[in-house]
Amino acid sequence: MRNYTPLVTLLLIYAVMIAIGQGIQGMWQPIMLVIFYIAVGQALNIFLGMTGYVNFGYVALLGVGAYGMAVALGYYTDLGLIPALTLGFILAILLAFIVSMVVGGIALRLRGAYFAIATIGVNEGIKYLILGGKIWGGSSGIVLSGILRKAYGAETMRFLSTVFADAGLIVVAILSGIITMYILNSRLGYGLIALREDEDAAKVMGINVRRYKQIAFVISCILAGLIGATAWTLKLTYVFPQDVFAINYTVEAIVIVMLGGAGTLLGPVVGGLIYALLKYYLTIAFPGMQLLILAPLLIIVILLFPEGVVGYLAKAARGTRFEKFVR
Amino acid sequence: MAFVEQLISNLLYGAILGSVYGLATMGLSLIFGVLRIVNVGHGAFIMVGAFIAYWMFILYGIPPLISLFLAIAVGMAIGLAIYMLVVKRLVDAPELASLLAMFAIGIFIEEFAKQIWGADYVGYSWEIGGVSMLFTEVPFTKLLAFASSIVIAAVVYVWFRKTKIGKAVRAVVEDREGATTCGIDVNRIYALSFSLGIGLTVLSGVLVTLFTPVGINVYMGGEYTLKAFVIAVLGGLASPWGAFYAGFIFGLIENGSYTLLGLIPGVEPFGLTRFLSSVVLMLVLLVKPTGLLGGE
Amino acid sequence: MLLKLEEVTKRFGGLVAVNSVSLEIDEGEKVGIVGPNGSGKTTLYNVISGVYAPDGGRIFFEGKEITNLPAHERTKLGIARTFQVPRPFGSATVRENVAIGAMFGRANAGVDEALEMADRYLEMVGIYELREKEAKLLTPLEKKLMELARALAMKPKLLLLDELLAGMNPQDINRILDLINKVKEEENIATIAMVEHLMHAITKFAERVVVMHQGSKLIEGPTMEVLNHPKVVEVYLGEKLKIG
Ligand SMILES: Nc1ncnc2c1ncn2[C@@H]1O[C@H](COP(=O)(O)OP(=O)(O)OP(=O)(O)O)[C@@H](O)[C@H]1O
Ligand SMILES: [Mg+2]
Repeated sequence: MRNYTPLVTLLLIYAVMIAIGQGIQGMWQPIMLVIFYIAVGQALNIFLGMTGYVNFGYVALLGVGAYGMAVALGYYTDLGLIPALTLGFILAILLAFIVSMVVGGIALRLRGAYFAIATIGVNEGIKYLILGGKIWGGSSGIVLSGILRKAYGAETMRFLSTVFADAGLIVVAILSGIITMYILNSRLGYGLIALREDEDAAKVMGINVRRYKQIAFVISCILAGLIGATAWTLKLTYVFPQDVFAINYTVEAIVIVMLGGAGTLLGPVVGGLIYALLKYYLTIAFPGMQLLILAPLLIIVILLFPEGVVGYLAKAARGTRFEKFVR
Repeated sequence: MAFVEQLISNLLYGAILGSVYGLATMGLSLIFGVLRIVNVGHGAFIMVGAFIAYWMFILYGIPPLISLFLAIAVGMAIGLAIYMLVVKRLVDAPELASLLAMFAIGIFIEEFAKQIWGADYVGYSWEIGGVSMLFTEVPFTKLLAFASSIVIAAVVYVWFRKTKIGKAVRAVVEDREGATTCGIDVNRIYALSFSLGIGLTVLSGVLVTLFTPVGINVYMGGEYTLKAFVIAVLGGLASPWGAFYAGFIFGLIENGSYTLLGLIPGVEPFGLTRFLSSVVLMLVLLVKPTGLLGGE
Repeated sequence: MLLKLEEVTKRFGGLVAVNSVSLEIDEGEKVGIVGPNGSGKTTLYNVISGVYAPDGGRIFFEGKEITNLPAHERTKLGIARTFQVPRPFGSATVRENVAIGAMFGRANAGVDEALEMADRYLEMVGIYELREKEAKLLTPLEKKLMELARALAMKPKLLLLDELLAGMNPQDINRILDLINKVKEEENIATIAMVEHLMHAITKFAERVVVMHQGSKLIEGPTMEVLNHPKVVEVYLGEKLKIG
């Protein structure tokens, strides 16, 4: 029957992380890095994990979300803090929605590898539209710190870029988990699993595969947009096209999903934890070499553990009393 | 009339560059045609070729045309190694697996290259004069690149049509199972095709350097990955010849639109051209996923 | 009339897999479809269920034209099928596979209801104890039974079975034939069509038989009459000679 108990495991992990971050000196920064990567994995998982389609343009959605927030705070500062923030979230969602409807509407007509090829240009395309069209400041980006300090005061700005940004990201991360759990237990989830395994058979079983893929894609993209708005714009108080369209985030998200277990609830959490901690300490130990280490890691995972850590654990737990808690 | 002259000389340049684009895409199409594997790490191999040309020239003064031979040998060796270590196990795996693996391999090569060569832009210039044609001075180096591309593509073509092994490769493209029953060792054909596909790609990287005097950098491949996919898709994705012709067309479109976009005030034509590439990629896939040129 | 095909044609390149076939199937019928290998039986099913759009002709279901309806909408109207080569959703459990049929077929069940239905149909086809297994781990025979359960869970009006019995032993064949006859009444499935090479299964099940040959409908009529028809004997003899 429907099983929401894995959410207990999920919330427990967040509780422990937040407790460690708040309780132990110097741990808040690495914990927030972990949560960022969990969120990034969680949002991608809703599409890649559940449909088996690869979206190489993933980071572009974080990028447009970041721009949505930056445009609201930077260009509509006069509305006042709360309205501008609200507008920021709305714009982040709206931009992500529009991009995902357009990209999905076109590219999701294509199957498997053809879809992936079509998305190769999305990130570059949007980046160069902003750069080439000199939109939203073009290559100079949008720098908010001065504007925010002047309009709302230094204290408020600090609150925004620390407490509010972090809390916002945590909410988005947990929300992604809850949505994932809901999808896994719903008709949508069953439909997605079916189409991931055999798209033609799924059609014959009565599943409107185009629509289901599109729904998963849009949800995944909107969550990505919200991550961009909180973890980047609010936290860093600036947006540059070169930063927010950096392809390494797409790679990292894919690694996290595959490492943890595609299509599972806890996969991105475990994948994000392992990855972010690895990255945090590798960056200290081997600066500038994360991708060099990650790429072979991804290959090894694909070759040897295609189900990822949680996929493996879920199988091992089958028939034991832990079964209910792992998914 | 300055604009028309500029357009014509840009189109000429586009056709010359297009031949190199075409060559740079043949490997991608060959690998997809034979193994049904999408090499999303394509650009990284072009970068390797570019560095081979650079170092051969800088260290030993060897001109790029000679480096072509080294490049194809190195490329084929790299391709064979990747096939043996990774790709072999993924030929029959779900698409997701091979897509991600090729993606990771591309990134690994770039990052590995960064460790040895650093992240700076480098370049060399090989000056051997030029000739004046159609309102513009065309350097001999570019004409040589043009000629080499055509010769190499022709050699590959003849090899496919006339040799026994080339025919076997074509048989596998057309009908995997049928080829197996005819006694063709499909695994060897895979290994050979993958290796040759990577070899051609690395080789094309050498010629690319003749067009980017200071543009050699470990991350230069990304741009070519995108272009190669636009071209491959135009040419039907699975057909090396389709890809070669489509390269010309792409070169013309790219340079033509670059000139035209330059007319719009307040925009940066170079960036917008890249934006248009991605739009074209998506639209062509949408309208005719088997390629505008029909493929083979 | 439940299903009506009007001069339906399906080509693959130069090959005409289904050649201008007209066919009517009434509510309540049990139809057998036979024909040598490659005669177009599976392709006919694919065209009916919407896997392929026909290159010519029209298809009607309950009087409504469905020629251009996508596969998933036809399913909702009450068409269900099994695949000659089973196509399980490999990483899902057997139970989930069948539940997917119940959710998205004509039954249109909610998740909880669908999972309960899955249990019932798995019990019915006799593989209840395998319900928590990953579908890809089943034996070919078990996969076929799972496909039957999945199709039944969709609560179809028209059930298309494609060589369901091939590869089963005689006891299983009899058990499944009895089961199919039974569920037709109990589950109110209006019509079942069965593609099969096993003539004794066809004679035991079908009231009417359609014979396909090289993409065309060769002949149709009451089972015994058709199977003993000289044309049919000739077609099958030809086939045997080819194989031998
Ligand atoms: N997707 C396809 N592409 C190309 N040809 C096809 C395709 N599907 C079927 N065919 C061809 O169409 C013809 C009819 O095939 P079909 O599978 O319908 O026959 P069948 O009567 O079901 O045979 P069998 O008894 O062997 O299952 C065959 O020649 C087959 O090779
Ligand atoms: Mg058949």
